[in-house]
Amino acid sequence: MAHRDADGITKSSSILPHNVCVQKDGKGSSRIILIGSDHGKRKQYFEQAAREAGICCSFYDWKDIRCIEQKEDLKRCVVKIDAPEWNSCRLNELDALTKQYEEGLLALSRLKAGAFWNHPLDIAELLDKQRCKKRLALAGVTVTEMYEERFSGREELFGFLRENRLHQVFLKPVKGSGAAGVTALRASLLPTNGRIALYTCAALEQGGLVNTKQMYRLEGADAEAYLDHLLKLDCVVEKWYPKSTFQKYCYDLRVIVQDGQIDYILPRLSKGPITNLQLNNHSMEFEALHLDETEERITELCIQAANCYPRLHGIGMDVLLEQGSGQPYIIELNAQGDLLHRDVYGENRIYRRQVELMREMLRQIG
Amino acid sequence: MGKSKTYAYDYDDYEDGKNAETMVEEILSDPEFAELQELIIGGWGGEYEDDCQAILDAVAEKPDKFSHITKLFIGDMDYEVCEVSWIMQGDYSRLWKAMPQLKELTIKGSMELRLGSIEHENLESLTIICGGLGTDVIKEIEQAKLPNLKKLLLYIGVENYGFDGNADTIAQLLANSDFPKLRYLGITDSEIQDELTAVVLESKYISQITTLDLSNGTLTDKGGELLLNKLPALPNIKKLDVHYHFLSDEVMKRIEALPIETDVSEQEKAERWKGELWLTAMLTE
Repeated sequence: MAHRDADGITKSSSILPHNVCVQKDGKGSSRIILIGSDHGKRKQYFEQAAREAGICCSFYDWKDIRCIEQKEDLKRCVVKIDAPEWNSCRLNELDALTKQYEEGLLALSRLKAGAFWNHPLDIAELLDKQRCKKRLALAGVTVTEMYEERFSGREELFGFLRENRLHQVFLKPVKGSGAAGVTALRASLLPTNGRIALYTCAALEQGGLVNTKQMYRLEGADAEAYLDHLLKLDCVVEKWYPKSTFQKYCYDLRVIVQDGQIDYILPRLSKGPITNLQLNNHSMEFEALHLDETEERITELCIQAANCYPRLHGIGMDVLLEQGSGQPYIIELNAQGDLLHRDVYGENRIYRRQVELMREMLRQIG
Repeated sequence: MGKSKTYAYDYDDYEDGKNAETMVEEILSDPEFAELQELIIGGWGGEYEDDCQAILDAVAEKPDKFSHITKLFIGDMDYEVCEVSWIMQGDYSRLWKAMPQLKELTIKGSMELRLGSIEHENLESLTIICGGLGTDVIKEIEQAKLPNLKKLLLYIGVENYGFDGNADTIAQLLANSDFPKLRYLGITDSEIQDELTAVVLESKYISQITTLDLSNGTLTDKGGELLLNKLPALPNIKKLDVHYHFLSDEVMKRIEALPIETDVSEQEKAERWKGELWLTAMLTE
């Protein structure tokens, strides 16, 4: 594959795998530093946008982050941090992996960078669903209700549901991203009519839970066995609000907010309660939902949420519209949720605007 | 078309203690209600534990209040609100007499559902949407006196969620019932859809209906071939609906080529699980 660099010189990308423009000496030049995983579409489409904008971008894999300071004059750089590649799909390793990731982010926060696109300490805060939601709730942002209580076992959880007349909730590992371990639980817990059903993309394999890309529905004893394993992880419990529907699908929205502006709203459709796009779910154009009046409420809510994290210039927000009322709620925020296949295979406008905003940041840091 | 309105409670309403009884009060005190032709009842709060009997009782006890309603749907809610197999329905025995003007009745959910002795001069359409229809309810339909029934659409569902019959149960329903004006027959959402296709094609109604609905089930090429063999000799059938099916591309194309209106959308693929192929009906849980 070949590309044309900022000076109009065609270069083979195989010769320069980590730079999208040619500099005689990397050190000393103003540029974007992208940290992430060497494989995948995030790097590919971000670099494409940078290349098209004529902005220099150097890439470092997470395993090479120790040498960044030696190689770059960071004071003249804007640093963007994507997530590292996760090598395990076992949910009981989620905590350790997240901890390792948080340590990496802490180390990056000490870099003397000119600017961070998203500050590593705030990226770390968003990995903790409870901390993030508390901050939003304190600022008066409408969020889906998350309960303070934690549960070490199934009976304890059922007791809480009974006491609070709750019959459908989401259980989520407090740390983690995507749909990993996310479980939609329904319970009717009358003594005469006790039954549970749950939806999840995790499967019990070899005595532990493994994240998969398929949705399962479990009932009765299978569901109980699953819960026994899930609740060994540190899980938060959230209220499950019925989501709005379009034709035969329910949907939520992934809203991309960059520098105080909504850059993309993507409805994610599902025939089950978990809408994550990695689960063979599909997306559609927001305009086709004809939510003209609600769009204003969504915008207002998302900007309010973004204002809670001024050091994050780009946030992917999961938003649901409650069935019936249409009330938008923030489900969660993701500081690295800017890759939307529908966008990168189309206009790549999220990354294109992102690099324009970074150009302005570079100008400001001189 | 007359005016329609949906009454439904959300999560917060339920937490505030609202239920089927308060819903009746709200419907009757709604100034718009008197203008409605169609009444749609969504979730009535805790529908997985509490049935909708209070609503059915109100209709039976105050029939004059509901005398303008010609279309009634009880249980219009999706899986985000309640598992279809958990919806606690009610006893409709007294509804038939209380609503002689009723033309269309749609019921979603089959748990605790009872239709009683059905006798109604004007009902034209009966639809039951569920994950599994019990033989007791099927028998009640079999014995129904519905001289003007034009549309019968039943989701048969699966054994795990309430269907405790087999192909013979449906064969008897179609043989023993008497719906002289039936034009739309839907025997759908079954895990034995091929067998039921054979049953329907042999039934007495096959030469009087104009629409045949075998959608949402596990229809495979076996059932598809039966349709391809029989339908050319049945010019009365103008529309065939088999959407959500497991037909091959080839059979699907041949069905589409029939000189009638067809719906072969939503082609499904069997899933392999522990070495076996699994075909599932559209609506079960």
